[in-house]
Amino acid sequence: MTKWRITIGWLYPDLMNVYGDRGNLIALVQRCKWREIEVKVNYLNPGFTKAELEDCNLLLMGGAQDRQQTIVNEDLKKYKKILSEMIEKEVPGLYVCGGFQFLGNYYKEADGSEIPGLGIFDLHTANPGTKFKRLIGNLAFETEIFSHQPSAISHKQTIVGFENHGGRTYLGAGVEPFGKVLKGFGNNGEDGFEGAVYKNSFGTYSHGPILPKNPSFADYLIEKALGKKYKGLTLSDLDDSLENMARSSIAKRLGVEI
Amino acid sequence: MNYQILLGKLVSGLIKLTNLGSGSTWPGHIAVNLDSSFNKKLLAKNKIKTIVVAGTNGKTTTSKLIKTILEEDGKKVLQNEAGANLQNGLSSTLVKGANLNGGLNYDFLIFEADENSLPIVLEEFIPDYIILLNLFRDQLDRYGEIDTIARKWKAAIEKLPSTTVLILNADDPSIAFIGKDKKTNTFYFGLDEKGSQKIKHGADTIYCPNCSEKLSFKNIQFSHLGDWNCPNCGFKRPATDISSLPSYPLAGEYNKYNSLASFLLAKKLKINQEAVKKAFKTFEPAFGRQEKIKYKGKNVQIFLSKNPTSFNESLSTVLELGAKNILILFNDRVPDGLDVSWIWDINFEEILGKRKLNIAVSGDRVYDMALRLKYAEIFTHVIEQPETALNEMVRNLEDNETLFILPNYSAMLDIRKVLTGRKIL
Repeated sequence: MTKWRITIGWLYPDLMNVYGDRGNLIALVQRCKWREIEVKVNYLNPGFTKAELEDCNLLLMGGAQDRQQTIVNEDLKKYKKILSEMIEKEVPGLYVCGGFQFLGNYYKEADGSEIPGLGIFDLHTANPGTKFKRLIGNLAFETEIFSHQPSAISHKQTIVGFENHGGRTYLGAGVEPFGKVLKGFGNNGEDGFEGAVYKNSFGTYSHGPILPKNPSFADYLIEKALGKKYKGLTLSDLDDSLENMARSSIAKRLGVEI
Repeated sequence: MNYQILLGKLVSGLIKLTNLGSGSTWPGHIAVNLDSSFNKKLLAKNKIKTIVVAGTNGKTTTSKLIKTILEEDGKKVLQNEAGANLQNGLSSTLVKGANLNGGLNYDFLIFEADENSLPIVLEEFIPDYIILLNLFRDQLDRYGEIDTIARKWKAAIEKLPSTTVLILNADDPSIAFIGKDKKTNTFYFGLDEKGSQKIKHGADTIYCPNCSEKLSFKNIQFSHLGDWNCPNCGFKRPATDISSLPSYPLAGEYNKYNSLASFLLAKKLKINQEAVKKAFKTFEPAFGRQEKIKYKGKNVQIFLSKNPTSFNESLSTVLELGAKNILILFNDRVPDGLDVSWIWDINFEEILGKRKLNIAVSGDRVYDMALRLKYAEIFTHVIEQPETALNEMVRNLEDNETLFILPNYSAMLDIRKVLTGRKIL
């Protein structure tokens, strides 16, 4: 049996790791390791080569402080074409908070100025400024976008996490929402949507970090990444009882059903 | 003003009598509501010297070190109570300390200010001394980004007159940046010890606060503290007025900084050396910060661990002390911060490695912490109730062993109640 290999690209780990989002990488790496899948991680800090990016089967991007965000945005512009192509070719990815925003069309500051995004996700974000409250708190949303078994009938999954953002994101026609908000604010506190999905790329405001407590989603991303290389693959089950305890424990407190 | 003091004292007494719990800030709340310039007036009327201590980690220990030194030197010290570090906390402290004529019969006031309250407190009065210890990520849902805090602090500090003495941590780029344009009365402590060459995950300020380029480090003590410089704009670690001591009153790298800060302040206050030495020798840890408690005849020691840097350092320190039994208590209540993502920024894998330790986890978010450790491939006992976890861990403890408890804030308060049979707040 061939040993499966996966290369995970973590975009800007030094700059965009302020929020425990490293846990998403840890979850992916371990869940692969525990299935004896060989994992390579490309730490894509400013100045990375195009080859290092293209090498990746799965991409991850986290959140950052404003100043770091600005540095990243400047650097990421250089890779816009390659990243767009990869996303179009259905390379799976998880883009949390800042990454999610920057993959959109533009980000509008409180003073009205617009910072162009990469234009890969059809969405835009507006920050009303510090006079408005930030959207902070435990978050739960319902999604039908994926299910653990590729052949299974789509079913609803509840995702739990934590959001903390000033920007309000509004989806365009070219993306699907990731889910419907059950508890918390979601993209903007108005339309009830959380995140965005385009091909196999997921944008979300959910920290938590999102993957450890939502192992089905982690496995979905791994499956999508490996599925491009190895036809007909299915992942073996792992014992997710602790993950489920953690998820249901906070869901219960939020009054949300798992 | 005097009747506000009287009213405040009555309220305070009533709260104590009826055992309603934390009456820390009610007296002050009332006083300030009756007269918004209460704090300013009371301080202006008295010759008390004021010291403000701020920073993410180490405020309580540093404040206690300073208090111990001053009291050893025969000085009378007033200090704000645990957690009471907002405007109400200041006025409550003053109400409690004042006599009915508005007199404060103390030589010094030590005020611990948290990240958000420092700028507010600096509008209330001009302190004689300010100590800025460090800035680390902590409760991002409450405090926001470090850069934002640093900017607010810098703006507040710039407004102070040159008579205020600043005692700053040279090893923290954000703190050094706050003192950058100050010409007088600005002093620095740092640590000159061989550390490591590599920045580890969780370090916050690795980009220059002056020009945003990546910083270069010649030596790193822990997190982003060390000998740093910017290859782009030339901003670098300021020369220190003190960078080592012959001995330290507490274990742990992080406590060296707290000790250096207090020592430097004592020097500026011209406290005699004998008093400082004696204070260091006899120093009793502040509650929850390396505090030793005997429980059911067994040894227990508490290391408050409330953010990634604090947790990393607690973990490293207890291992240095030979820890074999560790109890992690993890809550997400208001004083702890509601967002638990930060536990993934703790370097469990690197610090614990493949050691075989007896570890239990408990608290409101026990499963999140257990999950974190599962992914670090560290086996733990998962016990929902902290008191049950404590009793189980202590039951099989040898007489010469210590159970090290690493709680975050509210969990620390709760476990202390069990360990001492007393309320603290």
